[in-house]
Amino acid sequence: MMKNKNKNPFFFLRRFFTVSRLFLIPAFIFLMIFVFYPIVATIYTSFFSNSTGNFVGLGNYDFVMFRGVYPLINVPNLLQGTPPLGGLINNFIWIAIHLPVVVLSGMFLAVLLRDVKGGTIIKSIVFLGVVIPLVVGGVLFRFIYDKDAGIANAFLSLIGLGGLTRTWYAFADTALLSIILGSIWIWTGFGMIVYSAGLQGIPVELYEAAEIDGASRWKTFWRITVPMLRSTSIVVVTMTVLWELKIFDIVYVVTRGGPGGTSDVLAYEMYNVAFFGGNYAAGSAIAVILTLMTIGFAAYMVTRMSKP
Amino acid sequence: MSKKLSGISKTIAAIVLIIIIIVAGVLVYFYYGSTQPKPTLTVYALWTGTEQYNFEQALGNFTQNTGINVTYYGQTTENLLVSVPQQLANPPYDVDVIIAPWPYWISDNSPYLTTVNDVVTESDFPANIINPVKDESGNLWAAPFKLSGKPGFWFRDSFFQDNGLTVPTTYDEFKNTLLPAIKAVPGVEQAIASGDTVGWPLSDTAEGFIIGLGGYQLQLDLEKGPSARNWTDPQVENVFGNLTDLLEAGYFSTPADWEAQLAKLWDGKYGIYWQGSFITTLPEIQDVNDLDFFPFPGTNGVSGSVDYAVITKDAPHLNEAKQLVQYLAGADAQEIMVGQGGFLATNVNVPSSAYTTIDKKVVAFMGEPGMTIVPDLDDTIGGQWQQTFWDQLKLLWTSPSTSTMNNVLEALQTAAIQQQGP
Repeated sequence: MMKNKNKNPFFFLRRFFTVSRLFLIPAFIFLMIFVFYPIVATIYTSFFSNSTGNFVGLGNYDFVMFRGVYPLINVPNLLQGTPPLGGLINNFIWIAIHLPVVVLSGMFLAVLLRDVKGGTIIKSIVFLGVVIPLVVGGVLFRFIYDKDAGIANAFLSLIGLGGLTRTWYAFADTALLSIILGSIWIWTGFGMIVYSAGLQGIPVELYEAAEIDGASRWKTFWRITVPMLRSTSIVVVTMTVLWELKIFDIVYVVTRGGPGGTSDVLAYEMYNVAFFGGNYAAGSAIAVILTLMTIGFAAYMVTRMSKP
Repeated sequence: MSKKLSGISKTIAAIVLIIIIIVAGVLVYFYYGSTQPKPTLTVYALWTGTEQYNFEQALGNFTQNTGINVTYYGQTTENLLVSVPQQLANPPYDVDVIIAPWPYWISDNSPYLTTVNDVVTESDFPANIINPVKDESGNLWAAPFKLSGKPGFWFRDSFFQDNGLTVPTTYDEFKNTLLPAIKAVPGVEQAIASGDTVGWPLSDTAEGFIIGLGGYQLQLDLEKGPSARNWTDPQVENVFGNLTDLLEAGYFSTPADWEAQLAKLWDGKYGIYWQGSFITTLPEIQDVNDLDFFPFPGTNGVSGSVDYAVITKDAPHLNEAKQLVQYLAGADAQEIMVGQGGFLATNVNVPSSAYTTIDKKVVAFMGEPGMTIVPDLDDTIGGQWQQTFWDQLKLLWTSPSTSTMNNVLEALQTAAIQQQGP
């Protein structure tokens, strides 16, 4: 009598564990140990007290958001508009300033240098910022913004604004802005290169047809180039926002989140709280907040990309 | 009979052979052991540049005397505070001996250290230097090595003489006579240099004001935490109020790299600079005979920090590490360091004749009757509070005002409660 294959447990095992899937097992084990387990452990840790080990629910989240020495949202200061506003707010300010400048300047440079002689060399120079390690970039900016040694202040003196010279990253009102400006230089090359690739994908016939129809350069740019770069723009925006949310190196090197927490950001506060404060539970809470923000945003942008 | 004799001879021969083998084995073992190269110890500390060079002279003397090589690795403050404890908690590792200036760090990491009771003679050191690294059970976790005093404001003698400046004896003279006079000297940017890159130059200056205007007991109370003294206490507000007044008047420079500020002090861009006694050995001080200091006018205390040598629990070469720590804590090593300048000995057996002239003056000042040495404030409290203290002082320095001062004190109070309890 033949055994019923469907009732044979080995039948299902053999169907599931095909040869190709068996080859995935080492990578899966690696992911489980170095990715999934730390994620689960971090989320778990964020719900327990660092000192007593007791379950505290959202206590750590409340602490890091509102009640720490440098809360992620400093409500009283936010209402008055005086720094420090909080690490989370600083990240939003970073996005609000950095994102549009990088996207627009990247697109502008890509279009400008598309058919220009020597454009490749200029693009390479602009792209240098992306390949420089952020730590090195941070050290560069400490020098650039220095009152005595910095070229920024030397330039101000040259144009007759010597009275404005200062060590820009040392002051509460300019620390965050000075780092953001520096990061614009670092990241603009990324947008430029991605847009350059995107421009290659626009059919030439569209521009020819527009030229025949007598469209101006501005109209051609606005009605053809920008819409055709939609999916490229989504990529640039997504990558840039994710980069801005997890920014750490340049803050660490230039200002250490100071003075007085005025240039603090999520990632730096997480490092400070966990490793200097020894409060791994609170650090885990910040990590979870950061992860939810990045996953949420990335999921939203991927959804946008798939829509026509 | 001959058979019996043959048997006895064989037994004796066998015994003799065994004895010869054992003796030969022992001789080979000791010979082999004595000709094997000694292990190389790994030492971590914060020193670089001249301080590293000076320290390596003492290590070289140790190697010469014992044959034990030592490799020194300079560490950043961040690395020693954050990364090295992670290593210690997860052996194996390479490091045998670490030299650290933070008693709280030593206490926090004591589970990963070896006691040094059998290595150090406690009576060789003042009690207030030994006690911070001794627990309630009498375990001694570190050996004192180097003492750094923060005796006051350093200046160039020739700068004062050339510009008719005199050392103030009261705070009023300091604030209303000396500082304006320095500021008026041609070429001077600000009267007082402010150091940065790391946070301790500003915190040392703040401590000078705390002790000078509030008394040494105020610093001791603040070190104990809010249970002894709040940062919003009127006495603390008074101290910081005076400091803020000077900041608002523009007497302090913007914080900049602390070593570069030393060079600018020497070039006459600043008049005075609050610093530790170790600067007497730095290359920026081009002529140590032209260097002098004056204490905070009217002070009854001086902040001092001690560099302690600890032995890691899983040190790869424990016995040799103990030899090294015993040497560093001893008078011989410390006398070598003292002779190079910028180093104050913790061992009471180091003669005063070993010191350079300026260091002798520092030692004499710190030992004056009525002068109390207190532990460094932020090194004692440590942790996130120390980072907050450094960061908040930068804010006060760059945006001085009464409201900023109040916010700074509130932040320090919040951080102190979170770390030390209410």
